[in-house]
Amino acid sequence: MNLEEYKSVFSVTVLGLILVAAFPTVSMVLPFPGGGERFSELWLLGPSHMAEGYPFNVRGGEMQGPIYVGVSNHMGSSEYYMVYVKFRNQTQPLPNATASEPSPLSPLYEFQFFLADGETWETPVSFVVEDVVFEGNSSFVTEISINGHVFPVDVFSSWDSEQNGFYFQLFFELWLYRGDLQVFRFHDRFVGIWLNMTRT
Amino acid sequence: MRKRKRRKGDCVSDLRVIAVLLVLFAFLSPVFMLGTMALDVEEVALSAIESAELAVDVAYEAVLEAEGAGANVSGLLVELSDGVEALSKAYISSRIGNFDDAVYFADLCYDLVEGIEAEANELRDVAAVDRNQRFLLTSFGSVLAVVGIFCGGFFGWRFFKSRYHRNALKMKPEVVSNES
Repeated sequence: MNLEEYKSVFSVTVLGLILVAAFPTVSMVLPFPGGGERFSELWLLGPSHMAEGYPFNVRGGEMQGPIYVGVSNHMGSSEYYMVYVKFRNQTQPLPNATASEPSPLSPLYEFQFFLADGETWETPVSFVVEDVVFEGNSSFVTEISINGHVFPVDVFSSWDSEQNGFYFQLFFELWLYRGDLQVFRFHDRFVGIWLNMTRT
Repeated sequence: MRKRKRRKGDCVSDLRVIAVLLVLFAFLSPVFMLGTMALDVEEVALSAIESAELAVDVAYEAVLEAEGAGANVSGLLVELSDGVEALSKAYISSRIGNFDDAVYFADLCYDLVEGIEAEANELRDVAAVDRNQRFLLTSFGSVLAVVGIFCGGFFGWRFFKSRYHRNALKMKPEVVSNES
């Protein structure tokens, strides 16, 4: 190597070292975009805290659960969440996560909580289908109790001859608070369990 | 005679009408009163929920500002979560028509989140001072390091260059045999 080549190597090394030394200060002034995708997780676990053993065959007046609903925040900052609990039959609309549209059904129960980035929230949910009436090929649920609160519902289901049952669904929607708009918005996530209403 | 009799009959029927009206009033007034009271309680509940919502909004905004300034807000988030847990119970109670409970939980939420804004502002100010101090220290360190590297590079290069020339002068020409 001749002297000019040595000079180039020397200059580049010194410049690199200067950049390394200046980085802590520069990083405090210039905002660097946080890495990774920003998202929230929503899950539902069975009574054994596993993704199995969910209540399915349900009789009126019988306590079900607890099942566990959980949320995890990976949004890069603290967030304000709400989980709506809704009840429907097979024909009533579910949320449309791709169009960011929640189910138009009225919520029964709800949970609200704050989570710091990387934190997780989980809570048990027990429910009782308080009042079920069977009439011919239909089953009517008029009251459901969630965590000890009784809600009037008035939902009916016709006999599903393919699946052999009267099917209802208890589902959970995740909503996120938009501080700029000061409203909750559906956060494109929902989970649910199917319930087969049985006579005995 | 006929006229007098009619008047007497009129009086009796008037009295009957008044008696019937009084009885009706006695029976119906509690219904109206209860209805009005229920409406009042509902309005009170909705107003209490609105106040609690507003308090949560203000507190959350302050917490976000504190977080943005670099403060550790995990304790405040726990307090806020306690508050909104009460708020969700207020919504649930209101949804099932239990307005007394709704008022109780909305007021509880308000009480729980009321002081959070001041705490968050305090944390934000402390974090801002810490951040400024950290920035000054870091800048000072960076400037020192840059100057050190620059000077080191400059003098290092001069030393290297003189050594390079010295070594070059000491070199002896290589004798290559000419075989042709």
